[in-house]
Amino acid sequence: MKKMLATLLTATMLFGLTACGTTAPAADTNTPAEDTAAVVEDAGSDTTDAVTETTTADSDEPVTLRMAWWGSQTRHDITVEVIEMYEKEHPNVKIEYEFYDFDSYFTKLKTLVASDQVWDIFQLGGNFPEYIDKIYYMNEFIDSGVVDTSKISNAYLKITQDTDGNQIGLSNGLNTYGIAYDVDMFNEAGVALPTENWTWDDFEKAALTIAEKTGHFGSSGFTSSEFIAGCSTFIGQQGKVGEYGFFNLDLTGMGFTDAQMLTPYIEMRANLIKNGASPDAGAEMEITNIENDFLVTGEAAMTWVAVNQFPTIYDICAQEGRHLALATVPRVKADGPAGSVIQSSQMLCVSQDSQYKEEAAKFISWFQNSTDCNNVLKGERGIPINDDVRKALEAEATDGQKIMYDYVSLVGTFETPEKINVLSPAGQDEVVDNYRNYIQQVVSGEITASEAADKTYADAEKLFK
Amino acid sequence: MSKNTEKTSVISRFLNKDQTVGNIFAFPFIFGFVCFSFIPIITSFYYAFTDYSMGSKTATYIGAANFIKLLHDEIFIKSLGITLKYVLISVPLKLAFALLIAFVLTRKSRMVTVYRSLYYVPSLVGGSVAVALVWKQLFARKGLFNSVLAGLGLSTVNWFGDTKLALYPLILMTVWQFGSSMIIFAAGLKEIPTMYYEAARIDGAGAWQMFKSITIPCLSPIILYNLVMQTIQAFMAFTQAFVITGGGPNNGTMMYALNVYNQAFKYNHMGYACAMSWFMLVVMSIITLMIFKSSKFWVFGEGDDE
Amino acid sequence: MKAKIRIKKLIYHILVIAFGFVMIYPVLWMISGSFKDNAEILRGSLSLIPKNFKLANYTTGWSGFSGISFARFFLNSFVITAVATLGTVISSSLVAYAFARVEFKGRKFWFTCMLATMMLPGQVIMIPSFLIWYKLGLADSYVPLILPYFCGQAFFIYQMMQFMKGIPKELDEAATIDGCSKYAIYANIILPLLKPSIVTTVIIQFYWKWDDYMGPLLYLSKPESYTASLAIKMFADAASKTDYGAMFAMSTLSLIPVFLIFLIFNRYLVEGIGTSGLKG
Repeated sequence: MKKMLATLLTATMLFGLTACGTTAPAADTNTPAEDTAAVVEDAGSDTTDAVTETTTADSDEPVTLRMAWWGSQTRHDITVEVIEMYEKEHPNVKIEYEFYDFDSYFTKLKTLVASDQVWDIFQLGGNFPEYIDKIYYMNEFIDSGVVDTSKISNAYLKITQDTDGNQIGLSNGLNTYGIAYDVDMFNEAGVALPTENWTWDDFEKAALTIAEKTGHFGSSGFTSSEFIAGCSTFIGQQGKVGEYGFFNLDLTGMGFTDAQMLTPYIEMRANLIKNGASPDAGAEMEITNIENDFLVTGEAAMTWVAVNQFPTIYDICAQEGRHLALATVPRVKADGPAGSVIQSSQMLCVSQDSQYKEEAAKFISWFQNSTDCNNVLKGERGIPINDDVRKALEAEATDGQKIMYDYVSLVGTFETPEKINVLSPAGQDEVVDNYRNYIQQVVSGEITASEAADKTYADAEKLFK
Repeated sequence: MSKNTEKTSVISRFLNKDQTVGNIFAFPFIFGFVCFSFIPIITSFYYAFTDYSMGSKTATYIGAANFIKLLHDEIFIKSLGITLKYVLISVPLKLAFALLIAFVLTRKSRMVTVYRSLYYVPSLVGGSVAVALVWKQLFARKGLFNSVLAGLGLSTVNWFGDTKLALYPLILMTVWQFGSSMIIFAAGLKEIPTMYYEAARIDGAGAWQMFKSITIPCLSPIILYNLVMQTIQAFMAFTQAFVITGGGPNNGTMMYALNVYNQAFKYNHMGYACAMSWFMLVVMSIITLMIFKSSKFWVFGEGDDE
Repeated sequence: MKAKIRIKKLIYHILVIAFGFVMIYPVLWMISGSFKDNAEILRGSLSLIPKNFKLANYTTGWSGFSGISFARFFLNSFVITAVATLGTVISSSLVAYAFARVEFKGRKFWFTCMLATMMLPGQVIMIPSFLIWYKLGLADSYVPLILPYFCGQAFFIYQMMQFMKGIPKELDEAATIDGCSKYAIYANIILPLLKPSIVTTVIIQFYWKWDDYMGPLLYLSKPESYTASLAIKMFADAASKTDYGAMFAMSTLSLIPVFLIFLIFNRYLVEGIGTSGLKG
């Protein structure tokens, strides 16, 4: 029996050993982790002495940068290609990259925030205020010329600045919202095509008439962007240019005081749903992404888009012999403010945790400005901010892309307030989710549009308490 | 020499004491719990009393404010009701189904392997995008279910547009994935000694009688196990709502775990999410305890070592 | 009489097959989707026969990302999953034995702790867990994905405990009288009789681990160390295009290993009731 016990114990111990044994290969993936750990600690002590850091970075000492982004298969492939191109041009720089899909990217980023090891170069979109503590402003690199902005217009630098002029990052792509529509369906219903300064009344009437005449939805896809593109813009369109905004410029409170200003908009939204001119909650859930939006499947005449989505759906519809066009976001008054502005779809930022901030900035500058690099990237992330790069791309644009470029130039001509706020406060998602539920409650008659306006206002106000 | 044997016998006596044996065998768990689970659990408990959010690194102590907020949070209260409904419907259905199929598929037949594989496959696709798409299309306004209803001359149903109905497609999806419970039952059925059945047959017992007085009692520890685990897992169910409805319409499928996810990741209220989790931990513990207490009355062999 | 039995049998088989088909329809749809293009998948066609049969999904999918093909991702998944499953079986059976068969102080306490670990959502303990591994310098490795599986998994510990309850205590007592130690009883009596439970553990744990996406996401940073579950998720980028065809193709391939494991181990659960059980 004792013998058996002995064998058993050895067996268990062996299991224990194999447990360690099998983890052995991890040991080498493990070393870089320790390296970065050391790097992070160094960065902590170095930040006080930015000057020495700058001087050392200029030499040819080997530098390892970590970079990450989210995107599709194509984006991963071309981004890695340009990284290798950069490494060849700068033999002392090695870039360790990671890529994910959008949701995974932000989950991962959260763990890195917690452990103070955010990638040296990282991609951020509209939700960056949440990570503002981890962003190293790029102003000093622009001033020192490390980052070349000679071919980037001021207006396009501004879309990634806060109101104090801090350069949060460099935009990878210009973007703005619009309404994509099916020209033939408008004609079929005998509805006049949208003009540059059509109003919400025109929009509502068009949607209702189309629904009545064709049996399709007048307008589909009130997806998450609708809050910003529609509801929030609706406030910005009130009064004079720049008089109101949904939030104030410093993001310390609301940009308007009367909650009831929201009521007409909410009423219109609910009214469209009630009359079958817009999808209800059930129909909306059938939309998985822009490619099976009701506009694309031929069941709706209009939908909300971020304009960088337009070329894709234009091409899909063109294959079926249908013709799409882009209309501006409707206004409150035809001669009133447009409310829409050019925004950044996403940007590259330098991390606070980085030991080589200048090297990181150098790469970002190259990424936005180099023609070689952008010949590979081909504007996949959005309309480039560098004038030369943009012109080169425009020259070889497809029909759908041409419409997008024209639209962006058009929005660029609209009168905009002197100071705009490109930030949205952290936690805005909760307001948006609740807002969408309130609209459903208005449709079902649980609450009135005016109550929904009050509730939305209260939710938004709560962000600042 | 004699000293040595004395020494080994002392060691061996020590090694064979129940206390030692227990601790040695339980060591992997104790080690793992202390090293990897205990600190995160305590940390989440601490966070429940702070305003911690994952973006920022500071957590300010705010007392019981999160718990007080819970009691006034309409969405939380709604989600609690929805979760309970989901648990109460999906768990019994899934278990009944799993047991039935496991039982039907114990016949000695070469085809059994094939059939069991067929029924197990749904459990292998989990909450994948493909399944989410199929489910949406099955229950879409013009989907398969509505076509059948229309074909039968009945009025169609807007499954995902109706706050009261939207939960049922999700429940169906859960029940559909009964595979793992099924194979656990199958393993349990296999353990029942054939001689019990032979003896019963000699006594002239019918099929139902055998099922009732042999299969069920012998299987009861496994039934208890599946009941406890499925109940806990149903409380934690997240994927179904996340991939199909996102909690809508109008929070009609806002299950507790999805709510936690939203608060923690989407809205950046990690502290609040922790408070919610600990509140639910208490709820789940009470329910689990109730199941355990009841088990003395219906589970064979349960409680005789308590 | 014989004909009647045959008809009865036929009805049984038809019913089981028909129901089985309904059950796996969504899975078949996914497989057929792996031969469709994006538009056909998204247009809500519930048909199982692709309009234009498209094999390209498999080639684009397999090519993976930035030169790392799915061969690598599958290999990574397989290594992690196989080792973790092995760990689960060994550690869970040890712990289950302690909890089910040995009277020792703290048994109930640890059992309660074990159940509690199942009752907190992963999201709230994610960051603190990550920080532990990070401080240990193991955050960017396979260790956090494997080591915890050698510490027992609650779901399976409890399962094995329940199966052990079905093993008569008389056997232990008889063995003790024969001079067997607890260790020997575990190795010679309990473990062999636990086979059905071990088999289900292997089947279920293998699938869970194979399918796990959160662990690899948090603890792996280099694209060449990604697992298949993580890589498949990457076809669906919420912010840009989703390549459903390629995603379905790789999901289909990803089904094969888990299904094979099921087929291999399922045999042990069907070879007649009670044949390996207690024969007196």
